[in-house]
Amino acid sequence: MNAFQSAWAWLTQPQQWLGPDGIPARLVQHLEYTGIAVAVAALIALPLGLLIGHTGRGSLVIVTLANLGRALPTLGLVVLAFLISNGSPAAVLVALVVLAIPPILVDTYEGVRGVDPDVKDAARGMGMTAGQTLLRAEIPMAMPLILLGLRTAAIQIVATATIAAYIGLGGLGRYIIDGLSEDNYAMVAGGAVVVVALALAVQVVFAGIRRLAVPAGIRQQAQAS
Amino acid sequence: MDWGWVFGNIGELASLAARNLYLAMIPVVLGLLIAVPLGVLSVRWGWVYPPVLSATSVIYAIPSLALFVFLIPFTGVVGTTRDLTLIIPLTLYTLATLVPNVVDGLRSVPEPVRQSATAMGFGGLRRLVRVELPIATPVVFAGLRVATVASISLVSVGELIGNGGLGFLFTDGEQRSFPTEIYAGIGLIVILALAADLLLVLLRWLATPWLRSGRRAAPTPGQTA
Amino acid sequence: MTKRYPGSAAPALNALELEIPDGQTMVLVGPSGCGKTTSLRMINRMIDPTAGKIFLDDQDIQQVDPAKLRRGIGYVIQHAGLFPHRTIEDNIGTVPVLIGWGKQKARRRARELMDLVGLDTDMARRYPHQLSGGQQQRVGVARALAADPPVLLMDEPFSAVDPIVRTSLQDELLRLQAELRKTVVFVTHDVEEAIKVGDRVAVFRPGGTLAQVDPPSRLLARPLDDYVAGFLGFDRGIRRLSFFPARTLQLDADPLVPDRTTVAEARTRAKESGQPWLLVTDPQRLPRGWVPIAKLGELPVTRTLAEAPFEAGAHTFRVATDSLRAALDATILSPSGQAAGVDEAGRVLGVTSYDQLLIAIRAMTAGAGHEPGGEGEPA
Repeated sequence: MNAFQSAWAWLTQPQQWLGPDGIPARLVQHLEYTGIAVAVAALIALPLGLLIGHTGRGSLVIVTLANLGRALPTLGLVVLAFLISNGSPAAVLVALVVLAIPPILVDTYEGVRGVDPDVKDAARGMGMTAGQTLLRAEIPMAMPLILLGLRTAAIQIVATATIAAYIGLGGLGRYIIDGLSEDNYAMVAGGAVVVVALALAVQVVFAGIRRLAVPAGIRQQAQAS
Repeated sequence: MDWGWVFGNIGELASLAARNLYLAMIPVVLGLLIAVPLGVLSVRWGWVYPPVLSATSVIYAIPSLALFVFLIPFTGVVGTTRDLTLIIPLTLYTLATLVPNVVDGLRSVPEPVRQSATAMGFGGLRRLVRVELPIATPVVFAGLRVATVASISLVSVGELIGNGGLGFLFTDGEQRSFPTEIYAGIGLIVILALAADLLLVLLRWLATPWLRSGRRAAPTPGQTA
Repeated sequence: MTKRYPGSAAPALNALELEIPDGQTMVLVGPSGCGKTTSLRMINRMIDPTAGKIFLDDQDIQQVDPAKLRRGIGYVIQHAGLFPHRTIEDNIGTVPVLIGWGKQKARRRARELMDLVGLDTDMARRYPHQLSGGQQQRVGVARALAADPPVLLMDEPFSAVDPIVRTSLQDELLRLQAELRKTVVFVTHDVEEAIKVGDRVAVFRPGGTLAQVDPPSRLLARPLDDYVAGFLGFDRGIRRLSFFPARTLQLDADPLVPDRTTVAEARTRAKESGQPWLLVTDPQRLPRGWVPIAKLGELPVTRTLAEAPFEAGAHTFRVATDSLRAALDATILSPSGQAAGVDEAGRVLGVTSYDQLLIAIRAMTAGAGHEPGGEGEPA
């Protein structure tokens, strides 16, 4: 039996949908972890990215961070956080936040840097202050990339939270980890399918946000490039 | 951090690192070999590209653990084909990164250059190989760097299904509550990734002599403009 | 070796029939969208006509493999299209290598061509981005000539560089053509460039038909209709003067006075010949400047003219090679209303005046009926 047949068999068992170990409960947990981690990471990385992007200083930091962010092994980081905090789940969340920061920071920076200098010049020429330029001109134009960074971070966290089930975190990863240790492939596959569905749902949600938050002109321009 | 342990186990660490590199680089090479023709096709037949692009964005969204899991019924976690359980998904990730790069790189060839190549009697294939691909090289290398670093890091996640190169240090370290192992694992992966990145930068430098030379040469005296 | 292309093509063109003679520069000129570039690109089959045929030396080019055809035709475009990833010499040697020459042979040929187009061979190993726009265009021309093709196609090759560079490139092309005598088909939207560079000019109408095909001097003299006249621009008459040689002018030696002449002698001379101005020359007969007679009155009689106050230089034209237009221009600029005609070394042969110019211009317009066909070099 292939993965999808196994998964289907498991998913169609009604008991999987009930109780604290049921799919809805675990889904909610997973969403909580993802939501908190992305929110905290955004709180840190968005202002920082806007600042560094606007002033143009510290771009070396950005480049290094981009590379590091990609190189850091998610499993390792999560296990490390768990060990050195003696099993505190908060520490694992910290690890999630740390992993979410690079994509948001880098893409926000790139978004702001990428704004046409002529636009900034015109804004200044019209008498806007730095803050107004940032708010009215740069951020809207940087929106596509900022949203991309947030989306990448969200998907990254969905994936890492799944992996973090290894050190005891709840959420959808539990099915995969528990299934592997119990040799219950149907559960493993089922869990994987739900995780993938969640990840794809996140993609779709962000596409929707993009439609709302990015003015049509900029969206089309970004698409054309 | 117990350095004694590190130096005492250097052989084991080296062997894990080698395995990690092997599991990471095969997908990168395979990915490159598939991405180039796929990219060329996407440029030649424009209608191919949008579905290809959608596919890459879906692949990116799927958590690596889930992809590994889906392959288990086909290639297993033990036995001769277990490496494929990692290699196939990682190749897909590499493809997802590289195809847009190949396409962008080919599209970056200036139109006058393409026109003059045709006008001089270059047939399509010759022009591709001798003109367009060389000019696209820097952009492709940028993608290769990203794919390589990500690949090296993602291999460690494979440890959750028992095949993870340096990822072994994470699960082993967790079971033994031995942070040194975790640090070693993270450190080695990062070092490996950055070294590979540097190597690629060097390779790109070697492959693109025309990008090395300095800026505009002033006309020599007595020379008309 | 002629090219003929009867027939129509893409919507851009409409029943075009044109014969392009061997060894000359044929310029296709017209406004944007008139089909001149389309016509050019049909010659090397970058575009194929929807109807009609193109013959190169009596061979229908549709019967020839496009890649093979193109290797025998040089092609120069606006932004050169040099391969950024190859050195200058390898860029120039592209077609030779393509047709089977060895790399070394191709590079030697490349250096020959660099000399030919006026580029320093020290730059052979450099890359295109290290060269200026003008230099890159020269490389583009060298590259087109590398395999010594009989035909050269040039599509607005000098439009992307600044005017000073453009002029020097045009002069370079004229020089090359004088030496190589290739069949050149040159597209431009600039009618001045067409007149300067072309042996024959084909004026296109918007919509892809031909309005007139003639050598530049006849085109200026006899535009066939209002469209062509309008296209040629407003000072057609004066520009025609470029095609008539200055050597037909009568030159007067009376105003010439060596600088060792004393003021007294000069005054006498001026009175005798009735000249209001004198042109002072040095011992080599190079012009030093004009002196008005009135000023002579203020100077001590024993002084020589060498010490007299000259008026702003002498405006000259070369008698053997310049045109009536140059002579007229010099005359207008001259403070005395007379221009000095000089020889190759710059020595004054005589001066011309408005009266003489008028005579020459009248002769020119009276002789309208036989234009100096293609030989009058615009100066």
